[in-house]
Amino acid sequence: MAGVTHALNSVADGLRMAPEFVPAAARPPLVPLPDAFEPEVKTVLDEIAAFYAMERPPAVFRWMSRDRIFLAGYWGATRAAFSDGALDRPLKEILALAASMTGKSDYGVDLHLREARRLGLTEQGLTEVVEVVQLFNTVTKIADTLRLEPDFNPRANGDGAERAPQA
Amino acid sequence: MEIVRLTETQELTSEDQKFCEATKAWFKIDFVPKMSRVLLTVPEFGRSYGRASRRAMSDGALSRGQKELIAATVSAINVCEY
Repeated sequence: MAGVTHALNSVADGLRMAPEFVPAAARPPLVPLPDAFEPEVKTVLDEIAAFYAMERPPAVFRWMSRDRIFLAGYWGATRAAFSDGALDRPLKEILALAASMTGKSDYGVDLHLREARRLGLTEQGLTEVVEVVQLFNTVTKIADTLRLEPDFNPRANGDGAERAPQA
Repeated sequence: MEIVRLTETQELTSEDQKFCEATKAWFKIDFVPKMSRVLLTVPEFGRSYGRASRRAMSDGALSRGQKELIAATVSAINVCEY
């Protein structure tokens, strides 16, 4: 019960489904976001907006512009994390969507669902992502509740299923 | 340490033991994962859940490998060692 309930809540809240019995509340920001920027900051923000194909950068980066040095560093890390590498950017956005749903972040789901779709995620693909998120929110909750010890040795190198030592 | 006694595979019905064999083949392993044994403790739940899992984790618009990465991400966010 706990596992299934946890997973169903992750999907419902993650996808921001309206509550069944009470009206959904609006969510005004708790803090004002900057809307005027020094040229050096604006250059970074313009790059961010271009990365996300948005007219303005996401609010979370506008917030960070209060500290230009932090913004530049954190944006550089974000760009590196989400750029094509061993995994391509569309897949990374899908993983970020799964992380946001699991972490129940309305903001993250909104941003990464939009990005994943923009970068090619189809409706069938979205169905599959949500199914996997739901399944693994179920079994992780069950595993933690029962304190299951791992089946596999996490240091196995992937060339065969190496079983973890059993108690 | 588990807080419940895990059902041994030989305690399962023959139908569920076949289910476990399919699970071993799916993961290419020579043992039955603990989670499979837990889920089959309530056979109607475990069989249905297994069918849903097989359906969801098969290649589709996303590959099985991509889906395993999603599963790993969910496990990481939930800090689930298992």
